[in-house]
Amino acid sequence: MLILKALYRGPQHGYAVAEWIQGTSQQVLKVEEGALYPALHRMELRGFLKAKWGASENNRRAKFYELTAEGQKQLQSESRRWARLSSAVAFVMQAS
Amino acid sequence: MKQQTHEFLFRIKALFAKRRLDREMADELAFHQAMLKEKLVRQGASPAEAERAAQVRFGDGRRWHERLRELWQFRWLENLGRDTRFSLRVLWKARGFTAVAILTLALGVGANTTVFSIVNGLLLRPLPVPDSDRLVVLGMSRDFPEPGYTFPEPVFRVLENRHDVFSEVFASFRTDAEVKSDSGMERARLQMVSGDFFSGLEVPPQIGRVLGRADDVKGGNPAGLAAVISEAFWGRWFDRDPNVVGQKLRVDNTVFTVVGVMPKRFIGVDPLDRPEIYVPLSAEPALNGDRNLTAAGTRAWWITLMARLRDGVSVPQANAALMASSDSVLDQVTDSVWIADRRREHFHLIAETGSTGFTYVRLLFKKPLVAVFAMCGGVLLLACLNLASLLMARGAARQKELATKLSMGATRNRLVQQLLIESLLISLAGTIAGLTVAPLLGRALSALLLGGETKTNVDTTLDIRVFAFAALASLVAALLVGLVPALQATSRGLNEQMKMGQHATQAHEKQRILPRAMMTVEVGLALMLVVAAGLLASSLVRLYKSGAGFDPKNLKNIEISMDHQPLRGNALMQFYQQVGGELRRQPGVKDVSWEWVVPLSHMTWDDTYYTPGGKEQDIHENAVAPEYFRAMRIPLFEGRDFAWDDRPSDSKKVILNRTAADLLLPGRNPLGQFINKKEKGKVIQYEVIGVAGDAKYEDMRQSSPPTLYHAMSQGDDDQAPSFNAVVRVESATGTLATAARSIVQRINPEIPAPKVSSMETIVDESLSAERTMALLSVFFALCALSVTAIGLYGTLAYSTARRTSEIGIRMALGARRVEVARLIFVQNSAVALGGTAGGLACALLGSKVLASFLYGTSARDPWVFTGSILLLALIASAASLLPALRAARIEPMRAIRCE
Repeated sequence: MLILKALYRGPQHGYAVAEWIQGTSQQVLKVEEGALYPALHRMELRGFLKAKWGASENNRRAKFYELTAEGQKQLQSESRRWARLSSAVAFVMQAS
Repeated sequence: MKQQTHEFLFRIKALFAKRRLDREMADELAFHQAMLKEKLVRQGASPAEAERAAQVRFGDGRRWHERLRELWQFRWLENLGRDTRFSLRVLWKARGFTAVAILTLALGVGANTTVFSIVNGLLLRPLPVPDSDRLVVLGMSRDFPEPGYTFPEPVFRVLENRHDVFSEVFASFRTDAEVKSDSGMERARLQMVSGDFFSGLEVPPQIGRVLGRADDVKGGNPAGLAAVISEAFWGRWFDRDPNVVGQKLRVDNTVFTVVGVMPKRFIGVDPLDRPEIYVPLSAEPALNGDRNLTAAGTRAWWITLMARLRDGVSVPQANAALMASSDSVLDQVTDSVWIADRRREHFHLIAETGSTGFTYVRLLFKKPLVAVFAMCGGVLLLACLNLASLLMARGAARQKELATKLSMGATRNRLVQQLLIESLLISLAGTIAGLTVAPLLGRALSALLLGGETKTNVDTTLDIRVFAFAALASLVAALLVGLVPALQATSRGLNEQMKMGQHATQAHEKQRILPRAMMTVEVGLALMLVVAAGLLASSLVRLYKSGAGFDPKNLKNIEISMDHQPLRGNALMQFYQQVGGELRRQPGVKDVSWEWVVPLSHMTWDDTYYTPGGKEQDIHENAVAPEYFRAMRIPLFEGRDFAWDDRPSDSKKVILNRTAADLLLPGRNPLGQFINKKEKGKVIQYEVIGVAGDAKYEDMRQSSPPTLYHAMSQGDDDQAPSFNAVVRVESATGTLATAARSIVQRINPEIPAPKVSSMETIVDESLSAERTMALLSVFFALCALSVTAIGLYGTLAYSTARRTSEIGIRMALGARRVEVARLIFVQNSAVALGGTAGGLACALLGSKVLASFLYGTSARDPWVFTGSILLLALIASAASLLPALRAARIEPMRAIRCE
């Protein structure tokens, strides 16, 4: 879900996604490369992402991932679910 | 759902772009690694430190690569690959077993494919013409048990113009002809066809045109008689000259103009014939001279008829239409006596599917081939049973390994899948082995069956049907045969397995019943096949021993075609006398004489004779020269032989055979008596001057019919002038043919080259159906015996191997080697006895089916049955001997230790 959100702002390559998640979560969430790429590929397989090869900021060849319409829908449903889950946990923890 | 289809499609794409995907993945990871290094350097690390850190982070790049790659592959495909590789290793390790299994299946599938390809070439393969399923063969049904398929010319001409349900009705007749070349006369296969033949078959020529209605008139079309040639003939005769149209051919002394060449795949309507020249049917009188078949009108039945159905008409509809119109067809034939005869026989026309063309051989072989198919099935079943019991025996041996795998988490499905792949690989290898052997076997077999001098070509090349058959057979074998053993082998958990293990405890009786039951059935099947082979073979031997009535050994037959020569009467007889004299002077020649009808050649000449005051009898006839009986070694019991100076003007003399004498003149001395025949209103009298021994006439199976021999020199002027020389030689010499040719050529070079054949070959050919059956059944019996022997050996070897520790303990406790050997040997005896008993019962019941094929042999011949049982006992003993010997050589200490 985090990956999908990272790509919500626009197409990025894998390294940039990992950096963004790490940076935005204030170094709390460090995405292991070993989990990142399988996840990216799995989502590409499932049709949530579309991949294209292009040039990165420093002119290296990189694989850019872009959110598809399906991917956007998936992001919305997953974030809704996460919201429900987290508020439920919050309720339970707040109960005395 | 949409996700899954998307996944599936992407995975399919990945299958085709494996290398590109791999490269992209490597690039992607390398990019990430490079970016990481840059970040570390920016943060202050040295390039070397950055490099090392990156390496540590990324670890073994290959492993990640592998994980990514796995995502993109089809799970089951990659499993399949792994299983196959594993199975191959396993099979390679157990080389002996694998070889045996493959051999078994190769024998089973090979034997069946061979016979199937012959059956295919003979019975099933459709003609290579468009819409061959719209073709029908026309026949006639009368009060005889079998329908007839040859028509007289007048009947065909009536049908040719009555289309009704057919778009074309066409006729054909196959024969040999002599074609004149610069070096003499050469033989060629000829086919006489009617005008609609080519349009009915719908195959266009590759050069020129085909024959049409305008060619099928007397004298040909205005430009002369036309002929169409085959591609093979075009190559052989004209060297593929592109200007072949318009060239002349002299066929049987008649000139034809070549008007077209047919493509290579066109073979006419007979799948066993390869005609080289096609000429119009109306040219038959010109080709055959005075005694041509067209002139004989309704008395000669020689033409084969086929037709093409109109669109939308089915075969039953055509039959109904023919049934309704048969009467009116008859009325149009101008021979009222003939019509009356046919009406009495309840004649009506029939149509049968003609997609496979028409050939006489098929009529001969239809029934035997069906029986052969049954034997085929038996051998295949045998091979499958064998393989199944071998696999089961082996599965039992691998139980420990499989149980271990099960306990470590493998699912039963996966194990079964892997075992099935093993059996599939075996059956694949066995099928391929069988298929490679099948064409050679097929050619050899069909050469043996249909070889000889009649040039029949059974196309036994593997075509789609044969491949499909073999593939189906192997698949069925693999699945059925592999499934049960696989399920059985994986049925026990490790716990149970360890408890039982290789302890010398009670042998797993329950588990062994199934393989032993299968082996019993196998032995029974093998016995049945051996009995069948024995019955058919002994029947064939009896047929040969029954004798032809004459001695065919070292007897040659020389066919001289005088139809186109002007010699008749006295001059013709002098010609034959001269040729006969010169032949007798050749080295190695003992006797020479002449005959008109060649025995056992399916040619019949018969008529009705009667004694004054006696009943009319149907008597077979032949016209022979003096010394005929001596040359043929037919005894002449009473009276005298013919002489060359018996002239037509003298009183007609005949010699009767024993059967005829007993039939016409029972109880009296036949010499000097008169036999009468009514011909064209007059009564002709024949004087009996001798009585000869009986000889077989049409074929070996039927006993000798009453036969009457005419004097050749007393024939009428319109008697057919072509006779056959019978020459008794001292030993098989090849020089007779050249000698005959030069003798005839010296007298008159226009006479076509004489055709020399051996009487022994003619006898063989007349027995071709019986020989087929005997040969094929022996072939199957041998296959069955080999397969059974292999199976008995294999299963016994396995079960012995499993009992090693038990045997070791027995021997340690004092059992002697001989006793151990006997113990093992006897293990198979139950199987052998049970199988023999069962097989015997089935054979006794089932051999009745073969009764109609047997000659002089009872379907329960005790010698054959006893011999078969002994043979099987011998094979079973031999197969059981080796494992028994091996068991006796087990070292007790080593045996107990190896658990």
